[in-house]
Amino acid sequence: MPGMTSDSGEFNSLSIVPHSVETQTPRVYPLRTRRVAAPFPRLSITWARGNTLRVSLLQPGSEQNPGGEVVEVKLSNADGAEIADAQWRRIAYGSVHPYALLQSRKNSVDAYHGDKDWWEHVMEYSKEINSLLGDSKSSVTPTIEDPKTVLNIVEEPTSLKAAWELMELFYADKQSWTWIPERLLDWLADFDCLFSATQSTVHARLVVFQKELVTIQTVENVPDYWEVISSALAVGWLDVVVKLLRLHGSYQLDQLGSRELENGLVEAVAVLISQMPRLRPDLPEENLGECYNTKPEFMKAWEKWRAQITKLDCSSYWLQCDHQQTRVGLKNMLQIMLGNANTLSNVTYHWIELYISHFLYIRPFTTGLESMFTLAQKCMHLKPISNHHKLMGLLVGILEENTEVILAECSRSFGPWMITHAIELLTAGSTQAEILLHDEQSKLGGICIEELHRLIYAQILSSHALTWNIAPIYLTSCSKQGLGLLENLLYKQPVHHHQVLLKSIEICRLNGLDYVGHDIMKIAGVHYWKHGKKGSAVFWLQQAQDEVRLNRIAKHLFDFVGKSVSDESFKQWEGMIELLGTESKTAGGLEFLKKYRDFRRSLQQVQEGTTIDEARKAAEALVSLMRNPSTPQQFWLHIIHDSLKLLNWKECPLLNVSQTNLLLNKLQELSFARLLPGFVDADFPPEALKCVRLALATNLGRSILDE
Amino acid sequence: MDMSILILDKGTRCTAWNYSGQRLVAGLDDGIVVIYDSTDPASSTFISTSRFKARESSITKVVWVPPEYGDAVACISDDGKLSLWEEVTEDTEEHHWKMRKCFDGITSQVLDVQFGDGQTCLKLVAACSDGQVKIYELLDTLELEKWQLQAEFQNVIDLVSKFGNATCVSATISWNPQRSEGRQSSFVLGYSSNTPALNSPKVWEFDLDHQRWLPVAELSLPDDQVDEVYAVSWAPNIGRPYELIAVATQQGISIWHLGSNPEPDGRLSTQNVAMLSSHDSEVWEMEWDMSGMTLATTGSDCVVRLWQSNLNGVWHEQAVLAPAG
Repeated sequence: MPGMTSDSGEFNSLSIVPHSVETQTPRVYPLRTRRVAAPFPRLSITWARGNTLRVSLLQPGSEQNPGGEVVEVKLSNADGAEIADAQWRRIAYGSVHPYALLQSRKNSVDAYHGDKDWWEHVMEYSKEINSLLGDSKSSVTPTIEDPKTVLNIVEEPTSLKAAWELMELFYADKQSWTWIPERLLDWLADFDCLFSATQSTVHARLVVFQKELVTIQTVENVPDYWEVISSALAVGWLDVVVKLLRLHGSYQLDQLGSRELENGLVEAVAVLISQMPRLRPDLPEENLGECYNTKPEFMKAWEKWRAQITKLDCSSYWLQCDHQQTRVGLKNMLQIMLGNANTLSNVTYHWIELYISHFLYIRPFTTGLESMFTLAQKCMHLKPISNHHKLMGLLVGILEENTEVILAECSRSFGPWMITHAIELLTAGSTQAEILLHDEQSKLGGICIEELHRLIYAQILSSHALTWNIAPIYLTSCSKQGLGLLENLLYKQPVHHHQVLLKSIEICRLNGLDYVGHDIMKIAGVHYWKHGKKGSAVFWLQQAQDEVRLNRIAKHLFDFVGKSVSDESFKQWEGMIELLGTESKTAGGLEFLKKYRDFRRSLQQVQEGTTIDEARKAAEALVSLMRNPSTPQQFWLHIIHDSLKLLNWKECPLLNVSQTNLLLNKLQELSFARLLPGFVDADFPPEALKCVRLALATNLGRSILDE
Repeated sequence: MDMSILILDKGTRCTAWNYSGQRLVAGLDDGIVVIYDSTDPASSTFISTSRFKARESSITKVVWVPPEYGDAVACISDDGKLSLWEEVTEDTEEHHWKMRKCFDGITSQVLDVQFGDGQTCLKLVAACSDGQVKIYELLDTLELEKWQLQAEFQNVIDLVSKFGNATCVSATISWNPQRSEGRQSSFVLGYSSNTPALNSPKVWEFDLDHQRWLPVAELSLPDDQVDEVYAVSWAPNIGRPYELIAVATQQGISIWHLGSNPEPDGRLSTQNVAMLSSHDSEVWEMEWDMSGMTLATTGSDCVVRLWQSNLNGVWHEQAVLAPAG
């Protein structure tokens, strides 16, 4: 049945996952608009994050109508109908930890040599994922308290959970391989209700009968009673069967005397049923049957049990049983237990129910996958169904041992989440699947199918603002293209939102994507710079180590500072320099501004009457500032001019000969630079220049004398 | 899941989303540009936050500048004029949009413009109606006013031949979206004109050694007379050993593989891997998703088509999104 799909025509089922199975004509999905209507002279498209496509539908101008509408389409085939968005997100978040743990175990060498087998790790993972998909309470567990309640109606399980459990029992759980039919029986008990929606099932019959039961006086007279009992017996719901049998009228105290023989037969059948040998290690407490761990023991017990049934079947007591319905009903049940193929076919509805009944009563010794597919085909032939449930496609793929079909069914019917996580089960349990999934495909650009599905799932996670931040976990498990996609995802984050920016940087840091982090911080820095938040801008550009832009900003500040050096304006930009912090090592220009600020401060402290120490300190600051190659030319004159009081210090010269020479050389350099193109004139009055020259010359003379 | 997220103003001619999908710019009939913003990253509600008059005539194309250079858009108007507008906040004022540059130096009409090479130095490619391709370089990383014409050439493989009287109706440009610094900047460009030699899409790459742009590949089959190239789109490459480029012409959409390493003659190897028929006649837009796996296209049949390669490398149409009604 490959290629079969359960597309509903809604976007929920719009798959953009590549398959190997050739698709025919593409499906058409409607784009629903609120305010505009076709025809549209123009459509415009843009991919937003992840799998989100935005379509602008523009319409011709008119008085009443708007100019167009933008429709956002999320392309994913997650089954939105079955599971609500919030629940999906819970599953998505919940599965991150087990998935990451399994990947890290896979990467550590010990995993394969530790005390546990690999499949045990996979089982741990599977159990944790399964617990996210809902409770696993079986719906066919009878409750003891109310004798009239044979079925415990619990919340309907999801197909997703059913699919997961199928994958688990066939691939991950190596312990269950010897008793797969019993596992399938349990599985059907949990999920038979899922098939009731489209067709008649044993579960559906039981539900209907339970409703009727309240009004029925003597159940054994009702044909439905015997039908339902037989059906439940055929699919192995022994506890339900026994419970129903005990509702038989012959058990009532007032009738016990007159219907002793009849009651004996009913009880004999009930006892035989509850003693049915089962090839499985254990049973849940409320379930009936006797468990046998090994095949030889089980075969022995089975033969013995069968012999008892045959003996009962041939018993003469049947002739003495007056109640015809009871006699026919019980005999029919014995036929079921004796494996009468016709009877089994009559009492089951869905092919999978017939399939289970075959394992229980006709081929009880089946272990492993041997001939299971042939039997399934036979059952499907006997019970053809018009409406295929999506689980059937998966089950058939599994029984057929066709990995491609399993993959196609998983991704098409259950979505990228399912396939991404179920691949771990598949590769653990099937060598053929492992080869297929891990083989690098040149047609996919060199990645393997496993990676392809992880990329697709990560892309879907990226589509939503609440899940994008878990996409990196899946992307980092993709060896070839994961980081590439992660980069693209990070570049699409709206970094002017502070939280998003911090999260993005964190992800970059964790994954060794420092260069992406720097780009992101650069974008943030430029955004702040352009929007008047100069302090944040400088901070983020520093973090990004963007020297080009920082130097550009420094130049901008110099231009500003250079124009007005009065003390008033100094205060204005002093705060700005403070913001630059102490880490501004990256940009020479900004480093200068800090030094300049320190110099200005020390200069301000040098007043009349201050000690010579303070003056010397200021002089040192002056010299170091002038030595610093990053001090821009346009400041040289200002700095020296501002320091006139140091140069003219009365008590003694504060600068020695070489220091004075340094300043004089700077003046010289400046007069040469004036001749070059691109020189920024500091707009300095000629008188002031004369003062500077004079002061330097005087200082030089004094210091020569001193020395 | 489809959801209406925004109602556009009357007279909208073109729209473009910014890098993060949080802002939309729309160009209107009357030369007005409208900006729509979402309030927070998780929200899908957009409101119009700014409008300004960019030109006297209708705006036909709007393109965002890469975010490393601020919030700015280039607008092409009906008369083929190109101008650059930027959102700024000055001193205590509210943010507003300011014209940064009007490319008056371009005497012919500008048909398409795209920004690229955001890492080292912002470049702008403008395709003009006389068949000339002009490349401008931003001189100052923080000021969008200062641009320098870096190169000017025609979209021909044979650099010697010149086509003096070409008349082009439309042009399409797509930069290589690769961001890594080591890579040479490159883009693909195609025309719809009366000169077939100009039309066929060519991949141009900047040759650092000689400081010039060279055509390194031509995306057309030898015996193919390319009349009109509607759209080109260069796919993001997240790790493929080859580049992927989609080209829409009258014949349909063709998908090309472009080799990464140059052959002895300096050209890049090309391989046409698919020829897809679509959209009846004209293709309006093509865009690759962020993984470069799915191509979305729109065209004169008014539907959106999604294209994908299957596991056997066969390209096919995956789905059609058609406006209801």
